[in-house]
Amino acid sequence: MRKWKLFSLIMFVMLNMITNDLKAQGVPISGTVLSEEGTPLAGVTVAIIGKNQAVVTDDNGKFTINVKAGSVLEFSYVGYSARKEKAAAGMEIHLSKEGSSQMSDVVVTAFGIKKERKALGYAVSDLNAAELMKNKNTNVINSLAGKVPGVNITQFSGSAGAGASITIRGGNSTSEGRQNQPLFVIDGIIYDNSTTVTGNTGTDGLSRSNTTFSNRVMDINPEDVETMSVLKGAAAAALYGSRAADGVVIITTKKGAEGKVSVSGTSKIASSSANKLPEVQTEFGPGTLSSNGVLNTASYNSWGPKIPADSSKYDNIGKFFQHGLVYDNNVNLSGGSKNGTFFLSGSNFKQTGIVPNTDYNKTTFRFNGEQRYNRLTVSANVAYSIADIDRTLTTAGLYGSGVGSMQALYTFPTTYNIKNYLNPDGSQYRIYSGTLPLEGDIDNPYWIINKDKLTSQTKRITGGINASYKITNWWDVNARLGYDQYATNDYTYIAPGSALAPLYQSGRLSKDLYNYSYVTTTVMTNFHKTFGDFDTHLMLGTTSENTNIVSQNHWGYNFVVPGTISFNNIATTNKFFTDGTTRKRLVGVYGEAGISYKNIAFLTVTERNDASSTLAVQNNSYYYPSVSGSFVFTELLHGNNILSFGKVRGSWARVGKDGNPYATLTYENPSISIGSFTGVGNQYYAGNPNLKPEIQDSWEVGAELRFMKNRIALDYTYYHSQTNNQIGQPRLAQSGGFIFSTLNSGSVINKGMEIALSGKPIITKDFSWDVMLNYSYNKGRLGAFIPGVAYFYPTDAQFGTIKAASIPNGGYFLGMTGTPYYRELDAKGNQIPNGRYQVDPTTGFYKVNTTGTAVVGNREPDFIGGFNNTVRYKNLSLSVLFDIRKGGDIFNGTEYALVANGLSKKTLLNDRQSVTVTGVNSQTGADFNQTYTVGQNYTIGSTTYSGAYMIQQYWQNYAANSNNFITSVNWVKVRSLSLTYDFSSILKGSKIIRAISATAVGTNLFTWTNYKGMDPEVSAAGGTGGSGSQGIDYLGVPAVRTFTFGINVSL
Amino acid sequence: MKNFKYIILGAVLVLGSASCKKWLAVNADPDNPNNQSVQVQNRLPWIEHFYQYTAGVTNYRTSCQSGVYYTNSGNPNTFSTTWQCTNANSTTSYQTWFVEVSSNLVDMYNSAKKIGAYHYMAAADVFHALGYMEMLDLYGEMPYTQAGTGNPSPKPDDGKTIFNGCMAKLNEAISLLAKTQETGAPSLASGDLWSGGDLGKWTKMCWGLKARYMLKLSKKTDLYNADSILYCLSQGPQSNADNIVGPGFNNSTVTDYLYGDPVVTNGNFDYAAYGSSARISQYYYNLLTNMRGAGVIDPRMSKIVPAYMTGIQLDGSGKVASYTWTRSIGVDSYGPSARLVKGGATSIVTPVYAAANKNIKYTINDATDLANFIADQAAAGRPYTVNGNTVTVTYKAGSIYINSTNYVYAGDTVYVNLRSSAIATSGIPAQGQNDVNWYPSVDAFNAGAIASTGSFQVRPVSDQEILTYHEMNFIKAEVYMRKGDVANAYTAYTAAIQAHMDMMQAKLTSWAGTYGLTNPDMTPMNSGDVSAYISSTAVAPAGSLTMSDIMLQKYLAMGCSIENWNDMRRFNFSAGNVGSFGVVYPGYQRGPLFTGTAQLTGAGPTDVRYWMRRWALPPTYEINYNSVNTLALNPHATDPNIWSMPVWWDCATDDEYYGYLKK
Repeated sequence: MRKWKLFSLIMFVMLNMITNDLKAQGVPISGTVLSEEGTPLAGVTVAIIGKNQAVVTDDNGKFTINVKAGSVLEFSYVGYSARKEKAAAGMEIHLSKEGSSQMSDVVVTAFGIKKERKALGYAVSDLNAAELMKNKNTNVINSLAGKVPGVNITQFSGSAGAGASITIRGGNSTSEGRQNQPLFVIDGIIYDNSTTVTGNTGTDGLSRSNTTFSNRVMDINPEDVETMSVLKGAAAAALYGSRAADGVVIITTKKGAEGKVSVSGTSKIASSSANKLPEVQTEFGPGTLSSNGVLNTASYNSWGPKIPADSSKYDNIGKFFQHGLVYDNNVNLSGGSKNGTFFLSGSNFKQTGIVPNTDYNKTTFRFNGEQRYNRLTVSANVAYSIADIDRTLTTAGLYGSGVGSMQALYTFPTTYNIKNYLNPDGSQYRIYSGTLPLEGDIDNPYWIINKDKLTSQTKRITGGINASYKITNWWDVNARLGYDQYATNDYTYIAPGSALAPLYQSGRLSKDLYNYSYVTTTVMTNFHKTFGDFDTHLMLGTTSENTNIVSQNHWGYNFVVPGTISFNNIATTNKFFTDGTTRKRLVGVYGEAGISYKNIAFLTVTERNDASSTLAVQNNSYYYPSVSGSFVFTELLHGNNILSFGKVRGSWARVGKDGNPYATLTYENPSISIGSFTGVGNQYYAGNPNLKPEIQDSWEVGAELRFMKNRIALDYTYYHSQTNNQIGQPRLAQSGGFIFSTLNSGSVINKGMEIALSGKPIITKDFSWDVMLNYSYNKGRLGAFIPGVAYFYPTDAQFGTIKAASIPNGGYFLGMTGTPYYRELDAKGNQIPNGRYQVDPTTGFYKVNTTGTAVVGNREPDFIGGFNNTVRYKNLSLSVLFDIRKGGDIFNGTEYALVANGLSKKTLLNDRQSVTVTGVNSQTGADFNQTYTVGQNYTIGSTTYSGAYMIQQYWQNYAANSNNFITSVNWVKVRSLSLTYDFSSILKGSKIIRAISATAVGTNLFTWTNYKGMDPEVSAAGGTGGSGSQGIDYLGVPAVRTFTFGINVSL
Repeated sequence: MKNFKYIILGAVLVLGSASCKKWLAVNADPDNPNNQSVQVQNRLPWIEHFYQYTAGVTNYRTSCQSGVYYTNSGNPNTFSTTWQCTNANSTTSYQTWFVEVSSNLVDMYNSAKKIGAYHYMAAADVFHALGYMEMLDLYGEMPYTQAGTGNPSPKPDDGKTIFNGCMAKLNEAISLLAKTQETGAPSLASGDLWSGGDLGKWTKMCWGLKARYMLKLSKKTDLYNADSILYCLSQGPQSNADNIVGPGFNNSTVTDYLYGDPVVTNGNFDYAAYGSSARISQYYYNLLTNMRGAGVIDPRMSKIVPAYMTGIQLDGSGKVASYTWTRSIGVDSYGPSARLVKGGATSIVTPVYAAANKNIKYTINDATDLANFIADQAAAGRPYTVNGNTVTVTYKAGSIYINSTNYVYAGDTVYVNLRSSAIATSGIPAQGQNDVNWYPSVDAFNAGAIASTGSFQVRPVSDQEILTYHEMNFIKAEVYMRKGDVANAYTAYTAAIQAHMDMMQAKLTSWAGTYGLTNPDMTPMNSGDVSAYISSTAVAPAGSLTMSDIMLQKYLAMGCSIENWNDMRRFNFSAGNVGSFGVVYPGYQRGPLFTGTAQLTGAGPTDVRYWMRRWALPPTYEINYNSVNTLALNPHATDPNIWSMPVWWDCATDDEYYGYLKK
């Protein structure tokens, strides 16, 4: 509230400070505007920035305008990207067509400050609307994949409404509660992008791996985006201080333009289907063998006898998934007058998932307006969205039992038709109803998708008011109030008769409300002065942020009267209610000073001080400085025809990351009542009363070179960052008294390289070809960690036999630990790499290192890259984006589950008649060679085992070896292929329709990969923080391939 | 004018920064109390409950090791049957103690100290001793001095340090209990779920625990002190009225935050009788039916060994009209194990209820088995048809039967499991609080078909025995026996048996009017049977008392308790090489299903490493997460045969103990 008062006062001061109006004394200058191909452009608007003065170019592209020295001109022309340049006599401007991949010369940096690219001492990547729309995805994050070096996108799953996560230059915090995703800033307002899990893992099944969650940036309508700037390094983001460690994505939305009102609309329809399904064997039927070979046929494992040729088999998995459909409609209206502009849009995105009865439906509205009152410019924007997901449980997540639709689907023996899931009386048809109690059974996937109901609805409003007042032509003041609020309502209904703990077999219901609100204020003042050859600027600002989250969980079980699904129909003793309040506040003061010499050398320093409510009071105020510089050496080499532009740059910055709310104290569990006593005890999270912020120090160097009149451009960056005082809440030794303890400990080191090469091999009037190739790698390592702890298990990402882990003292940040087979030992007692396996004579199988502490993989790719092409012939343009990845381990947990339950095709080895174990005896070191054959008996120790049982156990032993399911994965994907035809030329002379085009897009069309599982891109617990769950593929909804057809019309 | 506005602006900024501190002070969760504000009288019931929970899982799993129970559940079966101990057993005791209890002790102690609530400080000390001694019994070494305080990588301590620490805490507790609390400090009665704040009982518990712990040192010639133990006993519980028990209830469906088990029930129930896996072992069954070869059925037998209904006839409305109670027999893991050898270590099958007639067709190739099987069906009065080597049996509606086509399993109904039902676990809403029988399904409940009556110590409403007068007497008997004072040993031995009978009888009597209405095993023993038993040769006659007599009666009485396994370790199980006591636990041995050669590497019974002597530390929560510190103290902590490494008190000398910890 106090901040709000401060803000109003400043507004009041500004409005009253109308002082003497300095008249611009201009001198006339002339210039020419040309197309990229060098043809003159007539009718280009040339405006002086900050003044209501503009002229239009003549037929030769010439213009003359009165300007004051140092003024900046803006050149705008329909169909071309607008450009800003400092006014200079005889200037020659080349405008490029909208959508071409040439980097613009002005980029949006921290706090929305536009800067000339050449002045930057750090790398910034940006994408414009046309590039985003080439492979439009309803999640703008996904449109970045393959296009920006250093950016890694991980899609959560192929289900409707599933989100994606983005990391830039690797992660900085290992712990699962810590997000490594960049800050999103939309029109100057920080925009929440969390993937919030409401409710209770054990009782609702609502955990990251058990159902579908969106990331909240999905609430943005991608069609509203004008540009996206990715501030990758700490120096670029330094002004955001304690929010900057993971980089920043700045999104600027569209604004109206002066001139006539224009309307445009797009309509798209898309069809998607599962990319690849797991393959299962159909030769052997259900059953589990006991050690003496007796078969239990009432089993969800498939170790039973051969299925007779004449009996039915069902392609349950193949028939389960459907074609998903998307209807995507957008309309926007924009326009403006001399003093004001507006932009209005509405959209609806309606998607049905490949899993029946799942869908995602998003509706958005946006209004952006700007009004100038002499020296004061006031702008406002507001966006409203409603996003609904109908989802399903995918894997186990319900207390007592409950396996989820995907897990059940990939488990069901192929001799049963899963479509037969109901009894005539409406109860669940259970194939082993006489044998398995309900709580020991698994639900039929069709029961789950048809009877249970899981929905999530989010309504969101985001808006801001921005006022800027130009006190003189070298001094302005800006103030901004931003607001972001959403409410998520999650609903989980588990139908009576589901396979759950007995307590819940009469049905259960939970409702979760999650209300997020965020208010931010910013006041900023800029000074800009030129002294001779030196250009200087100074910016000072202050900001405050106030986040408030209120959450409520209601749940209960056992509906008294069947059919009425309501808490009102649950006895009071069986319903429960909890409340949550999360508050987080931050105040920052920041400044930036810059000096440049003759467009040759640039130097910028920034400093920010933050105070965050989340840290210990004695540690909560911190400074974050940065310094960056660039040197445009081509300014000294006049008239070089080959190298048209050359710049080197370098920067150093310190940024940080504050804590999560409430982590400074240890809290209590809900009380329990026993007899007449009430007990209260500690939660299993330990607070830390001395919490400090994470501090990241980083540096980067780079160069930007352009050749042959900008036809070829190369951008190179090398960076290094070290994050110290890592805040984490890792799982640690429980002898400490807690499961998780909040700590400042350990460091994360990231280093890597980014290269972007772009070019225009062909530019003619009718035919052009644009190419962009990018390459990047990051090596993330965990530095020192708590003494005595050899593994940092950051997340709940533990599936099958593996765990996501970071390895202290220089080990992988994105490591995996697991349970490999032991290999034979050398003379010193060490395992020989690639040596023969040890065989345990007490089991007759390979000996598994069950301690779970062996490092079995690194999930970080060796490098990633993109190859983006646009070919235009007359009105037809074709874009194709390849996404490339080399290396990085992936655990195929789905195959693991199939091997373990006997459905994997691998288990058909030797027609299940025999298996052979060869290696060395783990006790004696002697050679071991033993074949187990059906029909024989084997005595190990004092127990006799049947051969058939040994074959089943061979595969259990196979499944136990994590390494059998880990692949270092390479891929080349055709991420998107789009074909657009522009009909505008046909419409020449039409007064109504200005432009019309049609687009066909294919997404995820082909993947060439050595990965044998479903899609290597899917992560099992999407949105997990820290080192996350990327590289873990476990019983997920398959990734999808999509074909889209769309029409765009502008009036 | 302009300057004036700047002055205002400046003033506001200064005010703003001054109030900034206050504006930022929002980092305490308004919805959840934190550990600084909890009252000691709310901490204590929590600690008592979750200690009971820790002790429950520990009692159950160690009772599988000591041979009281058999289980068909894979992990504890490696304790009861194969002895191929899996560290999947290790986690729960550790986690429930350290996470659910240990940090609360620190907070309760500190909060009590601030307000001069000395009796709560004493209670924290007592639980400290109870919990950490139990951890020492199980794991040998683990973090102790640095434990429970939020230290993220606490260093472990050796067994001697832990033992001495626990004894010191008990001494401190005794002196704190003697102090008068400061004015305003809450009375112990306001938070004591166990003993109603009776300071005398608490003090006796401290002395009793000291006696129990000092007895652990029986292998150590330098530290074992019989007279000290006898002194402690003289200050400890003097009658059953001094017994310390944790009460169990069946009046709430609220479940705990970590494991989802009901919070009001007895901790032993949550593990031994929550599900259908546990059964009485033949070893324990034999002690209850044929102690000392006397052939006398112990009156306690029918209260400990569960029964189920057989020969059920349903009436027209589908209710049980007639039936016979059939008492379970024990599962043989150590003897010939005929049934297990046929099917495998975990192969005992849990029965289901036939709501309608059910036909099962068995194929039996072995002629003897076929003949026996047919005879069994005839004896049970079931309709059946024989066709060559196939037999089709009809289980009539109302039957409790095994739903498997494998004839080997068909008779498994005789191994009645220990399962008992609580309102939070039964899944049968109509089953009221006063009916704790196990019905396999709603249909079975509606008919009234009981599949298990449960067992004395492990029902939801059973008392959880923490420290009892009968245990004190057994300790006294052993100590006198070791002194060679057989007469005093004999007095204590008979007093112990009598005390246990009396304790059971009192509880059974209190149950009779409620739970006893649906469960015949929850009614008192026939008092004539009790006196007949005591005067029978099942109880050693004066003059012929052996150490084995004492320890087997103690084993019988302690039942679901870690103390049996502790005692067995002190006597080297059935090795017979401790003192001149001979084989104290005859018949306890590796059975034909033994596969634990990697875990128990000793060559023969007199080799220390032949037996289960400790648990591996939890594979994930301690070994993975704290591996460097763990291995620094005990480099063998992850060796497969860690299971046979003696803990400190199980070694005769420190040299022996530290020898094991060497690389």
